[in-house]
Amino acid sequence: MTLPPPRTPKIENRESKIAPPAPVRTLIEITGLDFYYSEKKALDDIHLRLPEKRVTAFIGPSGCGKSTLLRCLNRMNDLIDGTAIRRGSIKINGIDINRPDVDPIELRKRVGMVFQKSNPFPKSIYENIAYGLRIQGINTKSRLDEVVERSLRGAALWDEVKDRLHESGLGLSGGQQQRLCIARALAVGPEIILMDEPCSALDPIATAKIEELIHELKRRYTLIIVTHSMQQAARCSDFTAFFYLGRLIEHADTRTIFMSPSNPQTEAYVSGRFG
Amino acid sequence: MPATAENTIPSSATTARPAFAITRKRTRFLGLTLDECIQAFFGGNALVALIVLALIMVFLFREGAAFFGQNQRNLTVYRQAGLEYIDHIRRQETAHTALTRRLYDLRLAAFTQLTQNQRLSPADANARLAALDDFSVRFSDAVMPIRGLVSDLGEVAAAIKTRFNVNEDKTTQRAQLLAEGRAAEAAQVVIEPVDFAAELQPILDTLPLYRETNAAFAAGLETLLTAAPSLAQIEPGLDARMDEFKRQTRACIATFPEIERKLAAWDYAQPVPLTASLSAFIFGRDWLTASFWQDWYGIIPLFTGSLLVSIVALLIAVPLGVGAAIYVNQVATPREQRLIKPAIEFISAFPSVVLGFFGIAVLGELLRRFSQAGWVHWVPGFPIIERLNALTAGCLLALISIPTIFTLAEDALNNVPRALKEASCALGASRLQTIVKIITPAALSGIISAILLGFGRVIGETMIVLLCAGNRIAIPDFTSGPAALTQPVHTMTGIIAQEMGEVVRGGIHYRALFVVGIALFLLSLAINYAAQKIITRYRIAE
Repeated sequence: MTLPPPRTPKIENRESKIAPPAPVRTLIEITGLDFYYSEKKALDDIHLRLPEKRVTAFIGPSGCGKSTLLRCLNRMNDLIDGTAIRRGSIKINGIDINRPDVDPIELRKRVGMVFQKSNPFPKSIYENIAYGLRIQGINTKSRLDEVVERSLRGAALWDEVKDRLHESGLGLSGGQQQRLCIARALAVGPEIILMDEPCSALDPIATAKIEELIHELKRRYTLIIVTHSMQQAARCSDFTAFFYLGRLIEHADTRTIFMSPSNPQTEAYVSGRFG
Repeated sequence: MPATAENTIPSSATTARPAFAITRKRTRFLGLTLDECIQAFFGGNALVALIVLALIMVFLFREGAAFFGQNQRNLTVYRQAGLEYIDHIRRQETAHTALTRRLYDLRLAAFTQLTQNQRLSPADANARLAALDDFSVRFSDAVMPIRGLVSDLGEVAAAIKTRFNVNEDKTTQRAQLLAEGRAAEAAQVVIEPVDFAAELQPILDTLPLYRETNAAFAAGLETLLTAAPSLAQIEPGLDARMDEFKRQTRACIATFPEIERKLAAWDYAQPVPLTASLSAFIFGRDWLTASFWQDWYGIIPLFTGSLLVSIVALLIAVPLGVGAAIYVNQVATPREQRLIKPAIEFISAFPSVVLGFFGIAVLGELLRRFSQAGWVHWVPGFPIIERLNALTAGCLLALISIPTIFTLAEDALNNVPRALKEASCALGASRLQTIVKIITPAALSGIISAILLGFGRVIGETMIVLLCAGNRIAIPDFTSGPAALTQPVHTMTGIIAQEMGEVVRGGIHYRALFVVGIALFLLSLAINYAAQKIITRYRIAE
């Protein structure tokens, strides 16, 4: 169980990214992945290794397969009829997550997800966060109280909502709702957090708060963030993967991708010539 | 735009067509353009529908409203002719009869005990019960003097009422003749007004006699109770029931002085207020028409009947309809969806009379046979005695309401944002947990309103209840608990369909049926309104 410590002052320095990082361990290893929606090939021969406790951004134009790949990582695509991985594997911590003996429910507890549109349950703020524990059979009040507070602090929302924990989560502003969703994902104790365009429906101030939060979270979690905004990728990720038409075009540390991409398509995309 | 038009602009020739032509001459019909005609057509249709609806309501309420005045007269005659006085006494007799029936039940239980558990032959069993039989006969006979009194007085009162009714008929006849301008014939119709005070005197004079009879009756019952045989040797449980019987009899005797007080205070001239007419309808426990004694128009037996049948129907239809909706919406494969949805919606294609016929011909008998099987006797109300009852009708009504409930509940589930399901799954919830804890609560308002609309559908259904509910106008015996569900009932819709054809137009019975119709209409309105309110009030934010 890895949960963030109680609110620490934000000391993350943007420049720290270029300081030589500690040797990074690969957490997720994707090899030769082909993914289909019915007969349509959505991902084509993806090879990708994602490092632990770093932020990786997936960028690319719409329909390039970045969200599909993200949803493969916690097997959310299982919920859609007719989807299938035809070839290749995804290993997290060395375990192939598509092995028949892997329980997708257990997997999703370790790999949390935050969606494009904030989607709090029509319940109170408290219950939104407690839900992940209640479904695991944890109903002790003291334990729930503790986790709710820790998760809300982790998502930098505690100070804003501590006096109205029992009001509906739908009464929060868009940015707060999205942070509530992040807190909800933290409560289950994941190691990896997937974010599918978490800021696309938010105004710049709310976006800034979420980005700040991403910097906080990467101390404890491995983050993968799908984004349409190249500025956002540049601001908050350590590594960036560029996808185009279902293929991984280039994957490198963010600075390289934006400053000196090796592939002309990447360069065309990051410089805004298409997409 | 024609190329030549460009050339005309600078020249600004008055005859040339302007380049930027945005006006057009419209063909008009009765001063209206085509668009306005179409608009008027649809608007007119909506208006016609509204007017028809308003007319129906006006008619319904106009026909129904006169009932209360008529019923007030009806109740006034009931009082003036002394029928009310006698019914006070008759209530004693009815209570005693109910007690006697309990005694017979007790005997039946004792007899079953002796023959089945103690393996006595019927003759031996009867011999063992001789003391009880003797007691029963004497208990049952104790009421004879009271019964005789009621019967004698009843004849007198009925005669007064008949004379009053004859007068009423004559009055109507005379009014008719006068209206037709036949004054001479009208003058020949002689009306002798009934002097209620004088006519009632013989009845009122019997009060001392009644007091005597009543005292003897009470004393007789008391003596009988002290000499009641013990059933302890047969079965201790039966003895407890005997004690219960004694307690009830004593409670009954305790009400006698109250009845005497009522009789002494009774006054034929006391007016019957209009509210009494209203409450006699709303709280009336009898629906009794074309009776030689007194007609009662109380909606309670019909209302409870409708309610009981609807409850049975919903008890069956809600789990099935909502369950099927959840399955189809959340669990089923697209192939299953394509199969199940049309199949359920097809049920509503059955004409309800066909279902009713099926109920009479097949289901009623099938249910009765099933209920007679030994292993289901623990179910309350089984074995079923009547083939047509609330359960039979309820089963078929459930079938009628399942498509409504299913379709609307499925819609409600469909409206739950997919994002909620994904969020729940992403937190590691199983499919079942997601359905139970997220999807169903989110769709709950829609599901409740689906159930309410199903209820509205059921309570308004006529043909099935008319054919299958058994049509016994009586409040089901709820003392037997859930077994009441297997009793025959009559319903608000059924009574209108059954009796409307044979009533005198404009008569009190005719109007009473209209009031039942109004009650039904208001009930449906309330249900639909509640359904609308619930769905808008608790709709979850998108």
